[in-house]
Amino acid sequence: MVGLSVGEKHFIQGGIAQDLRSDGRKRLTYRPISVETGVLAQANGSARVKLGGTDVIASVKAELGRPNHLYPDKGKVSIYVDCSPTAAPMFEGRGGEELSAELSAALQRCLLGGRSGAGAGINLSALIVVEGKMCWDLYIDGLVVSSDGNLLDALGAAIKAALSNTGIPKVNVAVGASADEEPEVDISDEEFLQFDTSGVPVIVTLTKVGRHYIADATLEEESQMSSALSVSVDRHGHICGMMKRGGAGLDPSVILDMISVSKHVSDQLIAKLDSEISAAEVDEAES
Amino acid sequence: MAGKSSSIAPTTYSPSPTLKVKKKQQQQQQPIFKDVDWVRPDGRSFQHCRPAFLRTGAVNSASGSAYAEFGNTKVIVSVFGPRESKKAMMFSDIGRLNCNVSYTTFASSIRGQGSEHKEFSSMLHKALEGAVMLESFPKTTVDVFALVLESGGSDLPVVISCASLALADAGIMMFDLVTSVSVSCLGTNLVIDPITEEESYQDGSLMITSMPSRNEVTQLTLSGDWSTPKIHEAMQLCLDACLKLGEIMRSCLREATSAPHE
Repeated sequence: MVGLSVGEKHFIQGGIAQDLRSDGRKRLTYRPISVETGVLAQANGSARVKLGGTDVIASVKAELGRPNHLYPDKGKVSIYVDCSPTAAPMFEGRGGEELSAELSAALQRCLLGGRSGAGAGINLSALIVVEGKMCWDLYIDGLVVSSDGNLLDALGAAIKAALSNTGIPKVNVAVGASADEEPEVDISDEEFLQFDTSGVPVIVTLTKVGRHYIADATLEEESQMSSALSVSVDRHGHICGMMKRGGAGLDPSVILDMISVSKHVSDQLIAKLDSEISAAEVDEAES
Repeated sequence: MAGKSSSIAPTTYSPSPTLKVKKKQQQQQQPIFKDVDWVRPDGRSFQHCRPAFLRTGAVNSASGSAYAEFGNTKVIVSVFGPRESKKAMMFSDIGRLNCNVSYTTFASSIRGQGSEHKEFSSMLHKALEGAVMLESFPKTTVDVFALVLESGGSDLPVVISCASLALADAGIMMFDLVTSVSVSCLGTNLVIDPITEEESYQDGSLMITSMPSRNEVTQLTLSGDWSTPKIHEAMQLCLDACLKLGEIMRSCLREATSAPHE
């Protein structure tokens, strides 16, 4: 992990207590975010998000598949995260597996909603082509290029940007096929349907260091955390997912307080991210 | 919770012989969960947990073990150690906790379906690490192996509660027993301790793992669409249930120590 001397640890903790962190930020300020969309030509949508020293790429690929027989009117989405050893030596071999699995599970919980699909950031019904027969399977892959803390928030933002960059090919279903036959489809390579991403939540992680909590912790600050709470909040202030990390326990009243703070922080993050995404899309269109 | 709290000593609970008949009925029924006045498939009220049966010392060769049966969810957890950490591991002045949750192939109605719960092992680890006094066994590892014999809903909460009972049985020092309860959100209703059928139709779920006497939450996961008042309500419900489950677990341990050794 991060090697810090006693003095450095005190400096970080003291700074957080005084609302002035090592890089000059306040406790609830994010590092500058930069978004770049359409970075991968092979994918249906992609984005690269830099959050200070943290650098992640998300790609969205769409394939035609069969819907789950339990939910014939819904498409399928799967989210995987890969931590490359290029980001940090500890991700080598099986070292990154645990973190990858944790991040994947957290993102699935935050973006895909409950079992019935309620509260999902991605409208699964929009992915259906022929009910019960054919739907789009979205494969969302995240890649950690460089890690400097707060991977979950960065990945959440990258997936949001990648989804807004995603165009799903228009599918024309041949009419006249009988009910039990496999439907014949014609995938258009010119017409694309834009994805509605207004409901995709952002993830805000509050890291508790000492008695205070901070947003967007760096790797050094994360090494000093006692526990952290990641909350995913959508545009309307609804909570779509939440999970706790770190070993130390939290008082229930502190959790409720952290939820309300994260809602407040999410407002600013959504606004910032929206403007960055639209700026990135303008850039992409011009180039 | 009335069923749990009414008797202080854990009531021995016998699986009902009509189980098979009941199962068939459930499959035929069309689930109408979203109605305001639906009845839960097993006849409980919304805020009523399943009857719990807990017993320590289920496995002889382990340092400590426990068996838990909540309705149809049946779990066995054994704890081994503390024993010397593997040579390949770096020196550590605090102990290590190694957790593993596995499903039997016959745990769910479709064979081998249990393998999709890979994250349960790390979630069990996170739920327990805050409670175990790791500094009390430096340089060593404690293994916690959980096996879900039958999956009947709310599997992870049962595994976590059972694991803390097994740790206590093994004499591993903890700050407090760890109890865990989950709540499902179905339409506008909050139902506690959901069974598999309810879980498959849920709009959202909240699982809280807490140390009841310290009033601390060690792990919490939430999915689905929630408003803040609803989170308040669900958290309160869970914490209350955790408190009562803690009492049952404590009385189970007390009974185990007071019982004469065979």
